[in-house]
Amino acid sequence: MEINENKSVEKDELTGDKILAGHESDNIKELDNRLPRWWLWLFIITVVWGVIYFFLFDVIKVMPHQQEEYSKEMASVAMNTTTTPSEDANLLPLTDKANLDAGKAIWTQRCVVCHLPLGQGLVGPNLTDTFAIHGCSYKDIVTLITNGVPEKGMITWKTQLTRDQILQVASFTLTLKGTNPPNPKPPQGEPCK
Amino acid sequence: MENQNFYYDNKIVRSFAYATLFWGVIGMVVGLLVALEFIWPQLSFGLPYLTFGRIRPIHTNAVIFAFVGNGIFTGIYYSLQRLCKARMFSNVLSKIHFWGWQLIIVSAALTFAFGFTTGKEYAELEWPIDIAVAVIWIVFGWNMIGTIIKRRTRHIYVAIWFYLATFVTIAVLHVTNSIEIPVSWLKSYPVYAGVQDALVQWWYGHNAVAFFLTTPFLGLMYYFLPKAANRPIYSYRLSIVHFWALIFLYIWAGPHHLIYSALPNWTQSLGVVFSVMLIAPSWGGMVNGLLTLRGAWDRVREDPVLKFMVVAVTAYGMSTFEGPMMSTKTVNSISHFTDWTVGHAHIGALGWNGFLTFAVLYWLIPRIFQTTLYSRKMANTHFWIGTLGIIFYAVPLYWGAITQFSMWKEFTQDGFLKYPNFLETVTQLKPMYAARAIGGGLYITGALLGIVNLIRTIKAGKLLPEEAASAPALERISNSRSSGESPHRWLERKPVQFVIIALVVILIGGLIEIVPLYLVKTNIPTIASVRPYKPLELQGRDIYVREGCYTCHSQQVRPFRSETERYGEYAKAGEYVYDHPFQWGSKRNGPDLSREGVTTGRQYKPDSWHYTHLLNPQKLNEQSIMPVYKWLIANDLDISSTARKIRVMQFLGVPYPQGFDKTANENLLAQATAISNNLKSQGIQVEPGKEVIAVIAYLQRLGKDVHTASQIVTPPTKE
Repeated sequence: MEINENKSVEKDELTGDKILAGHESDNIKELDNRLPRWWLWLFIITVVWGVIYFFLFDVIKVMPHQQEEYSKEMASVAMNTTTTPSEDANLLPLTDKANLDAGKAIWTQRCVVCHLPLGQGLVGPNLTDTFAIHGCSYKDIVTLITNGVPEKGMITWKTQLTRDQILQVASFTLTLKGTNPPNPKPPQGEPCK
Repeated sequence: MENQNFYYDNKIVRSFAYATLFWGVIGMVVGLLVALEFIWPQLSFGLPYLTFGRIRPIHTNAVIFAFVGNGIFTGIYYSLQRLCKARMFSNVLSKIHFWGWQLIIVSAALTFAFGFTTGKEYAELEWPIDIAVAVIWIVFGWNMIGTIIKRRTRHIYVAIWFYLATFVTIAVLHVTNSIEIPVSWLKSYPVYAGVQDALVQWWYGHNAVAFFLTTPFLGLMYYFLPKAANRPIYSYRLSIVHFWALIFLYIWAGPHHLIYSALPNWTQSLGVVFSVMLIAPSWGGMVNGLLTLRGAWDRVREDPVLKFMVVAVTAYGMSTFEGPMMSTKTVNSISHFTDWTVGHAHIGALGWNGFLTFAVLYWLIPRIFQTTLYSRKMANTHFWIGTLGIIFYAVPLYWGAITQFSMWKEFTQDGFLKYPNFLETVTQLKPMYAARAIGGGLYITGALLGIVNLIRTIKAGKLLPEEAASAPALERISNSRSSGESPHRWLERKPVQFVIIALVVILIGGLIEIVPLYLVKTNIPTIASVRPYKPLELQGRDIYVREGCYTCHSQQVRPFRSETERYGEYAKAGEYVYDHPFQWGSKRNGPDLSREGVTTGRQYKPDSWHYTHLLNPQKLNEQSIMPVYKWLIANDLDISSTARKIRVMQFLGVPYPQGFDKTANENLLAQATAISNNLKSQGIQVEPGKEVIAVIAYLQRLGKDVHTASQIVTPPTKE
């Protein structure tokens, strides 16, 4: 009905755009402008893109979904990230500063959440005393770190540390022996000879 | 037709405006506390009510439903009456709506603080309050539609289209997502489980953003922006196209919150494509707003109201471009679980919602109080401090997200994770968190200035409670389309038909995505080894939900090498079938926990570690930002609820044997005793009846079922 209301076209003074007759709500007028072309093209392009995307991924299925992406990612690494335990019976602790420093860095990153920074023990046993649950020798410690004792809470590190890193951190733990930190956890396991 | 005289109700507008300001301060201050807890976790003071997991929902709900919600109602109650040339339909409904909503907010804050929560983001309210929300929402709709029906204008203006879409859609979303079976007065389990629950929840969560934070604000923009600028709306046609496109497309995009999750691939794809298709319809609002200002830009430089509006609309444009980008797989792999999402949400909340709310208040408060704004200079200062606050808030979080993502992804030459300890990637972000808190602090400072300015304005003026107006009564015309009348113009004079069509339009996307998850079995392949939780684990899980652990810990390992190396096997749809509610989380402030109980896993910790960690996280990790949970050790586990919980679970289809509810507590005590004994062997004395035992039982169960057996059925992805 507003078509008949006003035949003469009213124009906006500032922009010269046509004002829609009869469109006035609480003094708000509306202009008769077209959809901005760039906006319309943006809309069309995104819709076309969406249709193509769904078609490629889920109709003809030529694009990889997350499961295939994952298999591809894992295959591209193709790295054996499991460290094999040491078989060398005459293994000796590392004593040079570089290796011990590297061991300390690993210790700080991985071990302190159970054994505490000074090795005094909390959830894990005290490593500064002369007792041990799973053997005292360097080789015992290396094996322990490599394989872990999951049922007791010591996780296996062979999937997270290289053999060299295990030797470094094992050597570092030996330097903690006899340091007498404050608030040590009471001895656990057997006394070492 | 003769002129009719009537009065606009300004008192109800004032009430909502006061509530907006009041809850705005509360919501923002709680937000600041949340932000500061990232730097000083001890700010929870060892109190359960102040831990991040409980106050984060208070912050989000207070800002969204209390501050923004009351802001919406302020604007709607003001504009609707004037656009309809009619007083609100009923004074009584207006009052019930106002007081009901405030009561809901108070009960929300209290229940969250005391740990009553459904554990679903932005829908944490327990069932009695959910019912109250539904009732009050219908009161609001009734009052609004009643007003529209007795209007004295022929056509409903675009602002009202948005108000109506808001009303129907929020009603549908809230009711559907809140279907839950009560266990007690303040505890329930959702009827949906696992993947289905996740999809329904994010269909809700995403569209709460769409229909609570977006459509009502577009409505407000369509009224207050041309009013403040005194300019005509740029394009009527654009408003039609972008309105319908927006409400139709928005509803489909929910799955973009679950990209790379265990949600079926096709649903994820729909989430991606519909998000990208949303760019133009969203920008339609921005374009129509900004182009309306053509010819008035010189006034933008002068008028603080217009300044707030321009930044609000620009922030809207930015975040509606960013959102679709974050929905693409590439960006989502970075943004999801990091602070990117938090930054994104705050561009929307602080910029679009916050600034537009302040613009509306600065504009209408002087008007209903028959005065002018106390200080334009102060409002300008508010504007600049607020804008600076938004930048300081968001930029550090984007920076932090990229930093953290890069650290999560980095491998050494040997093929191991460079930062295996999750905490390292959090500690790295502390300066960013500090900067974010400063940004938030600036924003609050601005808001407080605004409040002082408005109080001064109110003091200087006098409320016009009943504003006289007059308009001719609406003449009856034919129901059918008259010649030359476009179909849409016809619809604009048929509000009931308008609502029904809008309802149909918003139902389509949800139905197509959600229904197949129930009907098509291959969408959630069964894993034979997945068993229901034991009673103690179920109780522990409920404590996990109560404490809001999901606000910091996800339970969803994505199929990336960097995640399977860190946590273990990636998430499968079938492992969550007994999870009422799902607890996938959306942000990792701590590590994912879904493989926590796998003894051979990389993350495994013994019972004694969990005990010590919950008692005092900083003892194990000095840098940890986790709050202490010492009350779990002091509190006795309430086992009187076990039988009822088992029965509700059975009702929901969890296959506990017949009559298990009667023997469940025996089973519970046996498991609790075993854990207590195990702790004793580690030198920790704690009775089996304490809450911490149940929490440990739950944590040690996580991920076990998919790692003890090899029956995992990987869904066929390619023919």
